[in-house]
Amino acid sequence: MNRREFLEAGGGILFAGVSCAYAGHLLTSYATKTTGEDSPAFGKKMGMVIDVNKCRKGCTECLKACKAENNIAQPGDSRWDVHWIRKVTLKDKNNTNVPEKPVVLLCNHCDKPPCAQVCPVQATFKRPDGIVIVDYHRCIGCRYCVIACPYNARYFNFKEAEVWSNKGYPRRTHGVAEACNLCAHRLEIGDVPACVVACQNIGAGAITVGDMNDPESDISKLIANNSTKRIRMDLGTEPKVHYIGL
Amino acid sequence: MFKKLQQYDKGTRYVALVVLVILIPLAYSIVKPIFAHNDPITEVFLEKPDPSHTSCVRDTTYMRLHHWELLTKIREEVVRYGNRTIEIRDGKKEAIGLNDCRNCHTSRERFCDRCHNAVNLYPECWGCHYYP
Repeated sequence: MNRREFLEAGGGILFAGVSCAYAGHLLTSYATKTTGEDSPAFGKKMGMVIDVNKCRKGCTECLKACKAENNIAQPGDSRWDVHWIRKVTLKDKNNTNVPEKPVVLLCNHCDKPPCAQVCPVQATFKRPDGIVIVDYHRCIGCRYCVIACPYNARYFNFKEAEVWSNKGYPRRTHGVAEACNLCAHRLEIGDVPACVVACQNIGAGAITVGDMNDPESDISKLIANNSTKRIRMDLGTEPKVHYIGL
Repeated sequence: MFKKLQQYDKGTRYVALVVLVILIPLAYSIVKPIFAHNDPITEVFLEKPDPSHTSCVRDTTYMRLHHWELLTKIREEVVRYGNRTIEIRDGKKEAIGLNDCRNCHTSRERFCDRCHNAVNLYPECWGCHYYP
């Protein structure tokens, strides 16, 4: 080996070493990637029961509570307003004697969510406990999910909320899609969603949220003891929001 | 391989030299943050937190260079798995998140922005998360 060869080989080895050091650094940082294996969410199946008979006509307490809790954008224009939960009135077109029913509609947290199936970046996904949630860090704002959702539950953020009404929870910036996440941040700390609290505060108690896999929970008993309906079961999305008296 | 290189004309050799000249500073810039942990320059930008709080979740060196890795890990656990109690300090599981940074580091401008601006980084945390 002559001097030139020695220098060239040495330079090559040095560069390879430096590259390996950098690659090792990258690898170790990715080795700490999350698995979520000890998450309390595994084994749960969160669902909601809405008793339509208890729901009061003209009451919008749950809507207001939801907007305040989740910093929902309300620019005041119907084109841009976001509704995680909204209220409609059901009428029977053929029989006018049937009284009108107020019904709250929200994300149905489907077992087979079409919004998650179409999401090209897996920003919308089903969590281990069955909540369909959006990872706003990943969302690219393509709005496929808004089109895919058969329940019109998903909204796109054309404008962001100007203030944080709840400083403990983030708002969403312009350019991400969103829907009800069953107040996952409240469920995780053992609390109940804001709409449930609001409905209990006015004494109606029409909304119940809980773990449907637990046979002792309130929601399991409600489903077992009442005849419940789910919206658009023909689509095969298997929603987890049950309605009593619909 | 190296013997073959000698057969090439001078032009190829000059190109190889230029490539090396480019690669050496690049390699240096990559290696530097791995080994040079106590850079006195960063002292200028960082706000000292409230003295009543004695320590952060990890040591200063780790927080300076890898705080984003920790934040990413917490984000993934919380958003994708709903797991809020995470092992951040050694052996202890705690519910610590981005909101808890502002307990000690009260000013975003002095704590985050000054250093990020100096290194020309603009993470978009505060578009959604609240930090005064």
